[in-house]
Amino acid sequence: MNVDELFEGIRKRDLRSVSRSISIFEDDLQSSKADELMKRIYPITGRAHIIGITGPPGVGKSTLMGRLSKRMKETGKDPALVAIDASSPFSRGSFLGNRIRMQDSLRENGIFMRSLSNRGFKGGLSLSALGAVKVLDASGFDPIIIETVGSGQSDLDIISIADTTAVILAPGLGDEIQAIKAGIMEIGDIFVVNKIDREGAFLAMKDIQDTLSLGKSGNWIKPVIGTNSLTGEGLDELINEIDQHKKFLGNGSGRDTRPTSELYLLLENRIRKLIESYVSDDESTADIVSLVRSRKIDPYEASEAIIRKSFGHVGKN
Amino acid sequence: MSGGEYLADGKNQSLFKDKPIKILLAKPGIDGHDRGMFVLARAFRDAGMDVLYAGLLPTPEDVVDTAVNEDVDVIALSLLNGAHLTVFKKVMDLINKRKIDDIAVVGGGTIPDQDKPKLEKMGITGNYGPGTPLKVIIDHITERATEARSRKNRN
Amino acid sequence: MDYDDYYSRKLISLKERIPKENHERELWSEKTLEPWNNSTGYEEGNFENSSGIKSDYYYNSEDIPKDTESSDLGKPGEFPFTRGIYPNMYRGRLWTMRMFSGFGTPEDTNRRLKYLIKHGESGLSIAFDMPTLYGYDCDNDRSHGEVGKCGVNVSSLKDMEVIFRGIDLSKVSTSMTINAPAAVLTAMYIAIAKKQKIPLNQVAGTVQADILKEYIAQKEWMYPPEAHIRIIRDMMTYCTENVPKWNYISISGYHIREAGSSAAQELAFTLADGFYYVDLGIKSGLSVDDFAPRLSFFFNSSINFFEEIAKMRAARRIWATVMKEKYGAKNNRTMLLRFHTQTSGYTLTWQQPLNNIVRTTIEAMAAVLGGTQSLHTNSYDEAWALPSEQAVKVALRTQQIIAEETGITHTIDPLGGSYYLEWLTDQMEERAYEYFDKIEKMGGMLEAVKKGYIQKEIAATSYRRQMRIENGEEVMVGVNKYKEENEKPIGILRISRKAQENQIQRLARVKSTRSEKKVEESLSRLEEAMKNPDENLMPYYIDAVEAYCTLEEISNVGRRVFGGWKEPVIV
Repeated sequence: MNVDELFEGIRKRDLRSVSRSISIFEDDLQSSKADELMKRIYPITGRAHIIGITGPPGVGKSTLMGRLSKRMKETGKDPALVAIDASSPFSRGSFLGNRIRMQDSLRENGIFMRSLSNRGFKGGLSLSALGAVKVLDASGFDPIIIETVGSGQSDLDIISIADTTAVILAPGLGDEIQAIKAGIMEIGDIFVVNKIDREGAFLAMKDIQDTLSLGKSGNWIKPVIGTNSLTGEGLDELINEIDQHKKFLGNGSGRDTRPTSELYLLLENRIRKLIESYVSDDESTADIVSLVRSRKIDPYEASEAIIRKSFGHVGKN
Repeated sequence: MSGGEYLADGKNQSLFKDKPIKILLAKPGIDGHDRGMFVLARAFRDAGMDVLYAGLLPTPEDVVDTAVNEDVDVIALSLLNGAHLTVFKKVMDLINKRKIDDIAVVGGGTIPDQDKPKLEKMGITGNYGPGTPLKVIIDHITERATEARSRKNRN
Repeated sequence: MDYDDYYSRKLISLKERIPKENHERELWSEKTLEPWNNSTGYEEGNFENSSGIKSDYYYNSEDIPKDTESSDLGKPGEFPFTRGIYPNMYRGRLWTMRMFSGFGTPEDTNRRLKYLIKHGESGLSIAFDMPTLYGYDCDNDRSHGEVGKCGVNVSSLKDMEVIFRGIDLSKVSTSMTINAPAAVLTAMYIAIAKKQKIPLNQVAGTVQADILKEYIAQKEWMYPPEAHIRIIRDMMTYCTENVPKWNYISISGYHIREAGSSAAQELAFTLADGFYYVDLGIKSGLSVDDFAPRLSFFFNSSINFFEEIAKMRAARRIWATVMKEKYGAKNNRTMLLRFHTQTSGYTLTWQQPLNNIVRTTIEAMAAVLGGTQSLHTNSYDEAWALPSEQAVKVALRTQQIIAEETGITHTIDPLGGSYYLEWLTDQMEERAYEYFDKIEKMGGMLEAVKKGYIQKEIAATSYRRQMRIENGEEVMVGVNKYKEENEKPIGILRISRKAQENQIQRLARVKSTRSEKKVEESLSRLEEAMKNPDENLMPYYIDAVEAYCTLEEISNVGRRVFGGWKEPVIV
């Protein structure tokens, strides 16, 4: 399909065009096509509310996301989902398992969902996730929900393109503490304790509330909600809080910062990629690496040497 | 030896450099024998592919919807309950109806030799039985994925 | 009864019991083995079985606890039943040669059952097709192409009436391989017995109904685990009171093994399932000696001969010990682990299929030496399709040859006392308790299954094994060694499409002649009962099948009330 066909397909919400377009943003071989496509769709984006869902593994994010989207559909919204699976660091392959967890909800309600795998160069995922969000936005989906595993820089990057971020935790896993340590308390706008039928759920909610009240929260008071993704309990409350947060953003200045954070995200990742390509293309780098390996020079000196080799002509300091 | 080494000597590295082969494994019938599927899922992942599993008892519609939404390169169908001629055909009918020509379909399971030409005629290749070396399967999938991806990338 | 930390304490004492040093072998190794190996340039090989147990060069009396004979073995028919559950074993009565069968239509199955009865068989065994196993009717879209394929189709009581037409249920015992809808099929069997005016206390048979292993291995469920377990509880309490000869659970390791587990995992997970059902019975107010004697087991017999025999012996010992020590069983029958065995389907190869006869023979011998109560031998063409008549006959003859020509049956547990086998039995036992301990610490078997822990353990073993086969570390003759080109295909059995058409027509007739009012009433009563966890569902199931509600209509009530279940992602 060429860019014209894809663009028309996206506008008519032909799912094959939508999903093919997302693939194009995943694949660097197609980067010129991606740039061309973005030029076409960008003007018709910006309508969708972007919701980020993050949290440690095992708290039931996928199931919750499935139920949440189903409930949204029932209440007249038109959600689409993007879920990110971790890839194997050894083979770069991945098992895109999130889909199975929400399959039933998707199937019953005809909800579009796309898995992306976390792989390739650092930041590659952010670029494809951003592309996926734009395509879905251009197709008229609203909201768009992105799920990430909640660890590492690329996850935090993705969350930065969301308007509203919900952090999902569960009782009994010691996650509350872990979450605070990992710094995901700062990025959340809404906190969810899933599996509230479990022992310790109430305490977990209280813990989070206490922690939140210590930090400064600006004008938005971060709510803590209990949910049960198996029974659907708490979903309406969560949807309501998401709506409230959207309203809050609409009143303040929150939302108009998104284009700039998108720009910085792209810039940062593209620069990093550019730099990496310079460095890895330089053949003599290998010699320096082998000098370090045989302990002939120290890593500090080596890195300096590589930078001088690669970017000497750009000018130092 | 890990599955990963298989792909390393394969030819079409560059086509899949940024975006690995994406494959959907499905048993689109009433058949819960998933041992082989899980072995394949791991082997494919270790060979560097992005692997999706359609879960238990998907309908042919579920399989094709998932394949389209995820824009996979290959659908791998397997059945051990003897219903392959009926059920695989339903999947192919949907694919043809939706005019999809850039997703390859391969088959496997307990498929008698005399059924293989019928499946091939529908466009389902491979049709490997128990005991087939993983390398044979992975090579075949790589070949079919290359066709599919090239079709996807054309303008 | 002492519940707390039973398994971890048991494990510690077991580890203390098993000898760790072997002076004789060390001396031998220095004096005889090493010079030999050095002079011949022998490189240490990897002699490991499926359970990851490595064998030594040879075994001697130092490898087993001093008092093994008196405390670990016992005598035939005596605690802990390691040597066999009956005092005279096969000298008194051979194992039951139970050949599992299910054919396309109820009419075919009826003919087959009558043929078997005519030839002296009283233990009937029925396999069902996939739609029946998942609680779908033959006219559901999903069933298309699968009706009658892997067994007989039952969509309503009418089909069961045809299957048992002209068969006196008071004279036979029927084993039905059915799990998720087991309560509905039990209700149908009871309904037929009632029509034949047979008192329920004379109705004998078995349903598999082991739902835990469905979540673990076979993946044939309809509802979340808790809902199925509640239905099992209802069967347990109803049958204990009303149908005392009904074996409402056959706890199955077979499928766990076929899903790729090791022998030790099969042993551990199957017994852990068994203990879960014992806990369930006790929790629902039954006394262990009243219901546990009705529990029976179903194991796999695979190709590593000694490993399989050790597994079966260890299973008997563990069950008897735990029933006595942990659950306070008083009655010997409660402690007996009775089991059916089927030879391994996984070891059958599609290549050079006649070799499968040899594999099945070896596996069948292991089952007999392991003391099984009944045995199904696989047919050599089963890697291809449902077995042909010729292949089934060879499989049955295999059992008859073992039973009547070899002399294996002349004495009880003939391999007992072998240093190697006793050591191996201890090793299997220890590995089982290691799992029991781990599972107990995870909050019990149901939790472990819901978390996907058991499934992950099995998938990891299965993948490791596949890799070993791929790189030739593990040999499968004809598959990765001694291969042949251009093998000739063997003749196989095909089920005609007619089975499906016949079934759909019969179901349409049933639906057009039954009273819709009765159907609706019985289904809504069932729905109300399902919503009340204290209600026993069995009478409602019987009521519904008698009103000719279909299997799917009945199953759908549960799908509405309980919902479905998504398995944890385990790759």
